[in-house]
Amino acid sequence: MKSMKVWSIGSAGAAMLLASSAMTPASADALNIPGLQNGTIGFVLTSSAWGLYQTPDGKAECPEGFNEGPREQFKALYPNGGTVEGTQLERESASRYPMDKEDNFAYREVKGAVGIGMNLDGKVGANDFTSPEGVKGVDNQLYRAIGCTRLFRGPDGTYAHFTEMWVREMGFNRVLVELTGVDSLENDPQVDVTLYRGKDKLITDASGANIIAGGSNRIEDRFSKRFTKTLKGKIENGVLITEPTDVDWVWSVFYDHPGYYGIKQARLQLNLAPAGDRAEGMIAGYTTIDTFYQQLVRAWSTHHSSYGGLSQPSLFRALHRLADGIPDEKGAMTALSSSIQVKFVQSFIEHPDAKVAAVESTSRPIVEPARR
Amino acid sequence: MRQIITFASALTVGTFLTAPFVAASAAEAARAVIPAEREEYARVPMPANIHVEYTVFFNHASTTERGMTLYYWPHTTMRNGVTGDPKNQSHCTNEKTTHTAGLMSPYPPGLELPELDKRKSCAEVWQPYIAADDAKSVGAFGLITRQDGRKQWTYDEHALYTNYLDQVPGDVRAATTGNFGVDGPAAREVASAPSAIPPGFLVYTTVTGRQLLTDKNFSVYTSDKDGPNKSNCDASCTKTWTPVTAPASAQAQGDWSIFERTPGVRQWAFRKKPLYTYVLDSQIRSYEGSDVAGWHNAYVQKAPAMPAEFTIQDSITGVVLADSKARTIYIYNCADDSVDQLACDQVDSPQAYRLAICGGGKVERCLHDWPYVVASASAKSLNRTWQVLDINPKTGHLAKAGEESLRVWAYRGQPVYTNAHDEMPGDLYGHGNGEFSASRNGFRAFIIRDEFGR
Repeated sequence: MKSMKVWSIGSAGAAMLLASSAMTPASADALNIPGLQNGTIGFVLTSSAWGLYQTPDGKAECPEGFNEGPREQFKALYPNGGTVEGTQLERESASRYPMDKEDNFAYREVKGAVGIGMNLDGKVGANDFTSPEGVKGVDNQLYRAIGCTRLFRGPDGTYAHFTEMWVREMGFNRVLVELTGVDSLENDPQVDVTLYRGKDKLITDASGANIIAGGSNRIEDRFSKRFTKTLKGKIENGVLITEPTDVDWVWSVFYDHPGYYGIKQARLQLNLAPAGDRAEGMIAGYTTIDTFYQQLVRAWSTHHSSYGGLSQPSLFRALHRLADGIPDEKGAMTALSSSIQVKFVQSFIEHPDAKVAAVESTSRPIVEPARR
Repeated sequence: MRQIITFASALTVGTFLTAPFVAASAAEAARAVIPAEREEYARVPMPANIHVEYTVFFNHASTTERGMTLYYWPHTTMRNGVTGDPKNQSHCTNEKTTHTAGLMSPYPPGLELPELDKRKSCAEVWQPYIAADDAKSVGAFGLITRQDGRKQWTYDEHALYTNYLDQVPGDVRAATTGNFGVDGPAAREVASAPSAIPPGFLVYTTVTGRQLLTDKNFSVYTSDKDGPNKSNCDASCTKTWTPVTAPASAQAQGDWSIFERTPGVRQWAFRKKPLYTYVLDSQIRSYEGSDVAGWHNAYVQKAPAMPAEFTIQDSITGVVLADSKARTIYIYNCADDSVDQLACDQVDSPQAYRLAICGGGKVERCLHDWPYVVASASAKSLNRTWQVLDINPKTGHLAKAGEESLRVWAYRGQPVYTNAHDEMPGDLYGHGNGEFSASRNGFRAFIIRDEFGR
């Protein structure tokens, strides 16, 4: 896809690309791509970041400035202090039950015209962005909601910085993508794409800073069933595109604190490096307000939110105001269009070959109750 | 690392039964039986009035010696300052604090604390362990003089205290149950006797018991196929299971023995069971090896039994405790932001903290969103860890005679909860809901096996 990033490849890669482009994509293994075996190639996630388009000073997208956070709001609400119940606990309640009381603080939304993501609804609407490459109709209302809050802005917003770092460092966030039925990494009209959660660490080079391709990762299949999902896809001009499918995207955003995002109608769009060693692009879809906000409340405390001007009660209203997808039975939107920018390196994915036994943790048997 | 064998004072139980809390009946105390397999401790010099009580996990009672657990309060750096006792000093006094200290961010200091009319002083909650006027230092046990002129015992230069929550020997109810890092309260630690384990091993406290590890924090396992001090793990087996070998200078002691698995290769055994590590463990303190049939994590002590009506469920983070309907069970954790760092998660604590998190201050919403785990009609207290309490659901306190009451399960004296938004077994919707991800004022799931946390 022309709007996607162009890979920088060396002479060997260029030679391989030229060679592959001249071939009929009938036998992928014949392309001599080390990671591609028996029509299967795997990747492991190394980087995630919400798709936020940023200019250096933020004035283009946030002409009204950035949002104020808990410290500023506390000072405005309680200039003379008060009781723990009447101040501190009031604010903690407001994060969890934000509609209990009015919130009269100004909330700054993104006003710019440029955004990162996909055209999810096939339309070009008034609230849509244009991608940096000029593609119109980009849907990304989550960006509109969080793009003027310093916490979420890279590279030094604490949320942006740490959540990207913990993708690499925390085993909880080990996302594997396996492509099967692959005849060619350049053009293939039908491939299966399966998301798994892995259980092994990432392999780095000698510096420890760079994650390298060619490692292996075992599938974690006991505690990760909700994260396993197969998507139908195709490869066009080296870009993998999948059909919209609901997924639970595992991404703990505070150390190992368990969390994930429910992304409805999610689609993966990845530039596949010709050598098969990397993949880069985005996953886009409608992220549910519930999974986005609840993980934020549980993981990012008022203290941590204070580092980047995030008022959770104020954001809650913005999320509902800007929601543009997945209406409930009353017609209220429950999700926001969004994108996550992702990077992968190739990894050999090991499938489990043995059934695990019952947990050792207690002497009593596991009870399998009926689903409620 | 906390050792769970505790030094205890020789005070009698009766001294503490006046606490406005759950009175431990003689029947309950009698049920707190010392298990056959319990952790051994290293003998150290100590005064005659101080001895050692065994505790299983966090909660156990001796049948032969009586005494209350001793704690100390490490000098602790918080987000916005320092609190706790410096060495050879006690900052825990009879003066009642009335306002927050602002030790935690982002709220400023000087906020008035809840229910001041009922608030205890630090020294009422953490009672200094007072020494006789003629007491003498013994070994690591020393003495300091408090501001009122009385002598207070110290251990390793830390002032020692008992806590009003402990009611029978072996209770360690005032010890924190979780490692909350820099965002947790400035917690008191149990004054522990050193564990009697050979060099090369560690013992780590988990909710399932005292887990045996190598000194590199890797799990140690035993096999059902082995005999007493005899390994049946052959050459093929040892590709996956690495025998824990003993150096030439190592000697058997207590529950620890050494056998020669092949000429010149000595292997450790614990309670006559040969010990191994698991090659495929992907992290420290792992349970992965116990997923292989016939292999088990090694414990020096197992935690007390949990209610039979509870279940165990897989979640996205590991194994969690759940109620009879497979709903994840949560524990509420709270400490205030006073300079004393007093608990606010007990049944006699101000409930304002909990209500703010569970219902925005509204009792009825709390009862809906975070229901108590109601005990079945036939349920009885199992031990000092798992008990049935009569709670007044409106106040959150123990029900008084004639009040509305609910029979609920409690863990170490604190009611446990489920979350109304959990829809499927293993759901964790409520986990971490609270201040500092529930490190200070909020709910955490009862996680039995944390698969990804290291």
